[in-house]
Amino acid sequence: MDTAVMQVSDPTEPHTSSIVDQSVAGLRLHALEMGALVIEQVAAAVKSLVERDALLAQAVLARDSRVDAYEKQLDRDSLTFIALQQPVANDLRLARAIVRIGRELERAGDEAKKIARFALSLDAANDGDPVLAVGRQLRHMAALSGSMLRNAVRAADEMDPRLARNVLERDAELDAEFAAALRLVMSYVLQDHRFLRPTIDTIFALKGLERIGDHATNIAEQVLYMMGQDRQQADAA
Amino acid sequence: MNTTLAEKAATPTFSIVMEERKAATVSSAKAVAAKLDFWYGTNQALKNINLSIVENHVTALIGPSGCGKSTFLRCFNRMHDLQADTKYSGSIMLHPENINLVGKEVDPIEVRMRIGMVFQKPNPFPKTVFENVAYGLRLRGFNSRTELAERVEKALRAAAIWDEVKDRLNDSALALSGGQMQRLCIARALATEPEILLFDEPTSALDPIATAKIEELITELRQRVTILIVTHNMQQAARVSDFTAFMYLGELVEVDATSKIFTNPSKKATEDYITGRYG
Repeated sequence: MDTAVMQVSDPTEPHTSSIVDQSVAGLRLHALEMGALVIEQVAAAVKSLVERDALLAQAVLARDSRVDAYEKQLDRDSLTFIALQQPVANDLRLARAIVRIGRELERAGDEAKKIARFALSLDAANDGDPVLAVGRQLRHMAALSGSMLRNAVRAADEMDPRLARNVLERDAELDAEFAAALRLVMSYVLQDHRFLRPTIDTIFALKGLERIGDHATNIAEQVLYMMGQDRQQADAA
Repeated sequence: MNTTLAEKAATPTFSIVMEERKAATVSSAKAVAAKLDFWYGTNQALKNINLSIVENHVTALIGPSGCGKSTFLRCFNRMHDLQADTKYSGSIMLHPENINLVGKEVDPIEVRMRIGMVFQKPNPFPKTVFENVAYGLRLRGFNSRTELAERVEKALRAAAIWDEVKDRLNDSALALSGGQMQRLCIARALATEPEILLFDEPTSALDPIATAKIEELITELRQRVTILIVTHNMQQAARVSDFTAFMYLGELVEVDATSKIFTNPSKKATEDYITGRYG
């Protein structure tokens, strides 16, 4: 047995009890399935907005209940695991992190839902529409937040602290993108107050993407927490 | 009665109480093991153990069978002296007098008066309830009937068994239930007012209700006595102890606050053991 100081604590290492292994594997599997679903929701929502695809936007709204169902399942399964197996240390941290990851994914899914709703409201494309003017920024932010979310979920899948830290590092970049897009879209409402409503909607869409990046960051923090590293340690490493 | 906790916290008396409580929890070491080695013949069972036992707190010793936790516990009251061909080196200093508990010059009988022990299986003497508790007191020279009665009652109350046996003091202790017998053994250990109480898996032979009573008792007792407990039940260590020490192959691997050990231990070996990944 290795008595060295822990560098990385991996809750996916096998236990003596196969029931514990099954519980841990089940929790992780469902969190990853939920992650994949939310990644898909975010990508589809952005696509529906950029390409004015009402059908796709409808599909995003229809699938949101599945996201919610996953969150409830993770909540229930974690609680059962804690009650029946009395996990400690990295197993306990995993049980808590899974609940939190579920919550973050559910919120990211909500942002996707809001973006899809916005896409549906834009049935008549207007050349002066601010959302078209910031199309490039929107795509850019969508690419960045989407990639952060994918990497956060992948970090949870592969228990990869480096990948998790990479997500944390990119959050500032996304914030800067948001600030730049905000300046651009605000210039529209200053030109003509008729653009007020679409401008606000566009800002909400941009803010949604920025929030998705925050949720990805929080998921990455939970991955580090599961592995016994807090953010300060992660920053120092 | 509608004051919130925040409002209460803002009142001076509340903060004074909290300050006092904080001051009271700053404790010193009751006993300190330093470079402690122990041999059964040529077999070294303890290797260079350095551990402070904090006064009026519960320290739990955990680890797989054969890791040396019971051996370590038994050093405190010199139980090993009853066996031939055993050897100590290093020290366990008892504070505040700085007596080396494992020193050759120290009388084991005197050590056992100051350091009580409760075993895995309840082992009352085949005597009455009263005589079980009075036994150690008589050894210490207490003969007055009234004083004995007083001290026996005090010990039985402290062990949370008085109400159950006060009308059966002259019945045989062997007629009690397992949980009652174990609490009687705790009363017997408490009667001589020891400074440290050693528990060697005190609940492994008891049902969950009796176990809960003993655990509750341990939590109460730590206000007056320093407690060291060996347990195979990880949840028990988590529930009753303030500090947890993990031992493996005769060595102390890690000791820390129990809340730290069971949420985020520093050593991988500790985490592997408490999460059931050992071996």
